[in-house]
Amino acid sequence: MSTLHVLHWTVVVCISYLALTYVLYLLLAVVGLFENAVRRRESATEDYETLAASRFTIPVSVMLAAYNEESAITATVRSLLALDYPEFEVVVVNDGSNDDTLRVLRANFDLAPFTIFSRRIVQTEPVRAVYRSRTEPRLLVIDKENGGKADALNAGLNLARYRYVCGVDADTVFEPDALLKGMRLVVSDPARVIGVTSHLTIALDPEATMAEPVGRRRVASRPFVAYQHLDYLRAFFNNRLAWSRFHFMLCAVGAFQIWRRDVLEEVGGYARGFTCEDIELTFRVHERYLRQRREYRILCLPDNVGTTEGPDTVRKLVSQRERWQRVIDESVWHYRRMLFNPRYRTVGLLGVPFYLVSEVLAPVFEVLAVLSLAAAVAFGVFHWTTFALTLGLISFANAALTASAILADDLQSRVYRVPDLAWLLLLAPLDLFLYRPILMWARLKGTWRFLRRDKGWYKFERNARAAPV
Amino acid sequence: MEGSVSPLTVAFAAAVLAWASVATVTVVGRLGFERRRRLSASQPVALRSAPARSRRLVARAERHRGEAGKWKRIAALRAVSRERHPRRRALLRWALEDRDRDVAGAAVRVLGEIDDDWATEMLIEALRANRYPRALAAGQLERRSPAIGPLLLQLLSDPDAAVRFWGATLLAGCPEIARDELIALTTDPEANVRAAATEALGTRGGGRSVRGAVVARLGDDAWFVRVHACRALGQVGSPDDAPALAGMLGDPWWWVRAAAKDALRSFGLNVAGVLVPHLDSDDGFVRNGAAEVLQDIGFLDGLARSGKEGGLRERILVAGGDDMRRTAETRADDEESARIDRRTGS
Repeated sequence: MSTLHVLHWTVVVCISYLALTYVLYLLLAVVGLFENAVRRRESATEDYETLAASRFTIPVSVMLAAYNEESAITATVRSLLALDYPEFEVVVVNDGSNDDTLRVLRANFDLAPFTIFSRRIVQTEPVRAVYRSRTEPRLLVIDKENGGKADALNAGLNLARYRYVCGVDADTVFEPDALLKGMRLVVSDPARVIGVTSHLTIALDPEATMAEPVGRRRVASRPFVAYQHLDYLRAFFNNRLAWSRFHFMLCAVGAFQIWRRDVLEEVGGYARGFTCEDIELTFRVHERYLRQRREYRILCLPDNVGTTEGPDTVRKLVSQRERWQRVIDESVWHYRRMLFNPRYRTVGLLGVPFYLVSEVLAPVFEVLAVLSLAAAVAFGVFHWTTFALTLGLISFANAALTASAILADDLQSRVYRVPDLAWLLLLAPLDLFLYRPILMWARLKGTWRFLRRDKGWYKFERNARAAPV
Repeated sequence: MEGSVSPLTVAFAAAVLAWASVATVTVVGRLGFERRRRLSASQPVALRSAPARSRRLVARAERHRGEAGKWKRIAALRAVSRERHPRRRALLRWALEDRDRDVAGAAVRVLGEIDDDWATEMLIEALRANRYPRALAAGQLERRSPAIGPLLLQLLSDPDAAVRFWGATLLAGCPEIARDELIALTTDPEANVRAAATEALGTRGGGRSVRGAVVARLGDDAWFVRVHACRALGQVGSPDDAPALAGMLGDPWWWVRAAAKDALRSFGLNVAGVLVPHLDSDDGFVRNGAAEVLQDIGFLDGLARSGKEGGLRERILVAGGDDMRRTAETRADDEESARIDRRTGS
């Protein structure tokens, strides 16, 4: 077999892989649109006013892990304390920050150290002090030795008082109705709904973005940030909503994840042995509940619950995405027994295989496709017009999926201005050339680090904001 | 064949067309939405609809087919209810009895918007029938409390324990109208009912009989009944009940200990005298709990400020452990710094 023959077949295999994943994404996008329509109609008939005032709305402990978050922490905590929800507490865990996170919190929320005798449900790094706010009784701050995000959330779990916990990120500013929207379906079916996540948007400066009223919010004019926004839209509206419909929601995102507390206690809390805690926890809960043949639901909702801070440089983005790639690889590898195992129902038969094909194997095929296509053109296996048309086809086919996510988001939230929608729609076809290469590199790097068993978290610096008070 | 278009070109054109179509639908749809919003803001909606529209709405609200039909039915139910259509009562009853949970749930919510007695009765029926999560029907009924209190009394004697539970829970807004019944329910065979009755009694003062019933539940076999009893005693009790609550600091269940501490805190400095002897208890939970409450009510810091602490402050710090000593010292340092700052004006 000649080299050209090998090259030809390599291209064919790569194109077949891309076509297969495209068909999967297309199917998920269609199901996602349907799920979005159902949830939107449900939400429209929901009586939020009663839910917000009722004693029967289940109380929630919101847990926030903070490591070197001095610039973002105040806005996040304020947005949490401003949540429109009948009964909740905010447990902030300062995970051994070496910046001024604790000082900023103490100054802004009038904290004083107190001793609280709590349960030790999960072992954590030593707690240095627990602070209560003299002005805000719903706020509790735990200061502990650094142990990573999972350890910090476990420390929060030990002190949380309520039946449901909601893990959030310190760089996210929340909509006032975030918890109400997130808990809506839990209140309807607390016996089965054990986990909920919801849609988040992205911005360089979440406070500034959230200050604009709904319907007049702007999307970042910088393509680099707008592409991250599009990435989030695709992930939530095209994928996770469909996963939720098919009962294989495999990623309750760290920025907003509601769990029934007894479920977390039962599975032993957040795991420290993985690069990130969120995906692995979702896998673990699915694995346990399906193995024990218990009825449960982990849902993803289309409601926009908040805006999280996105990286503002390529270096930071690569650092973030390579970490995400690593934790996906780690989770799929660790729970490989679920793969194609009928005992794990749609999780084993659809969810984990989908992750394997679309995420774990993606970096390999993407790089192979780029190299083989370029070589095929260079060696004359394909004419350059075929190459150009193939790239154009991939660009616009993906752009159609992106446009469908933009449509779903707009139908759901009507949050952005029309010119911004148009801007996003126009950016979509160029995604392949301007944004994908960065992700491709990040995923390749993540895969390499996974193979080297690197579990480090190289936290990127927060974007420049107003100086902390 | 010369001049024919390659499949790749066709696929490319299809992809462009797909992107352009979805993009157009997105932008045009949004512009249409904005236009409708402007129009609806400037033109008030007619309260009474035309006969033809009314008939159409009723037909839609009666039954549905398929997913889309279901949501149209729900929208129609809301519309006929808001327009006070004469058939709305029958339509809502059918909807409430529908097998589809979304339709039944929507009926519950629509009923919640109607202030008439028949709507309340239908909600109570829904609560009994358990066709939809009872918490949602209860949420709607709760909004009418205490006005509907007398209508809820019937629930307290229902053979179904879940209905008795909800009856007791809803009467928390007006326990005085069913005090005797609620006291009787604190000895119900079902623990959930005992907990709800205890909680309801805890929302208002009610004299010796209520306190007696609540105190009796501190010894309940079910831990969550004891939790509600502690909380209730924090509400209806007085510092005289502190000894009973202090006894709960050694409960094997964390939730009970936490509720007892909350209740003791609610009495403020008055409980200090009761708690001090517990600082030397053999039970670590009791020692820790007593020290924690004394810290939280400000007794510990007060001793430091007064300068007359004697050995008592030390006893509390020993009972609370090293962590309590450290936090107390930090608070004292913070206060001192704040005092100096105030004096120097910095």
